[in-house]
Amino acid sequence: MRQVDFTKQVDARGTYCPGPLMELVKSIKRGQMGDVIELISDDKGSRVDIPEWVNKMGHEIANERLEGEDYYIAVRKMK
Amino acid sequence: MSEQAPSLALILISEDLEKLHAGSLVGSVAAMSGMKVNVFVTMNALVPFHKDNFEETDFKYGVVGKEILAKKIPLFDHLLQEGKDFGEINVYGCALAMDLMEWKKEDMIDVFDDVIGVTAFLGMTNNAQVITM
Repeated sequence: MRQVDFTKQVDARGTYCPGPLMELVKSIKRGQMGDVIELISDDKGSRVDIPEWVNKMGHEIANERLEGEDYYIAVRKMK
Repeated sequence: MSEQAPSLALILISEDLEKLHAGSLVGSVAAMSGMKVNVFVTMNALVPFHKDNFEETDFKYGVVGKEILAKKIPLFDHLLQEGKDFGEINVYGCALAMDLMEWKKEDMIDVFDDVIGVTAFLGMTNNAQVITM
């Protein structure tokens, strides 16, 4: 998937579950509709948990990729 | 019939750090995922919430709890507070157990919304999914 321009990048590497999710939730709640937040996590559970949360909450995955052990997910705030 | 937000009732009974951590984690993430969460802290689960015990990290734990403390990851108080900040989660102390221990709300760490009886809690959690730990 192509990389996208993001509004803000949140580096949550080094935090354990649910730290990365909490960091994403904070940024999404504080952001404006249409903002793209890119989260970086090295917690393996994030690869399953974060897309699940994004889909459940009705936001959009703009980009998702793995670089070594680092998981990048860019989320567009939809509401 | 109007649509009701999904709701979760979490009853914390055990003082084991792992159970408190797991319960707080589930409650916090549920709240951040749009669920209304009510937490009832009762019996020995109240012990680690007492300021004296919390400040001295005087907790009961096993091998995972030992790592939770050693790696200094955010504890149950932080998880519950994050759930409050970014979702709807209310935390209640059990009036019976608090009375037995002669503890007041101000003796406890600052996550409790109120001290209530089980009837009030059941009234709040009508039709909720219930998890007990």
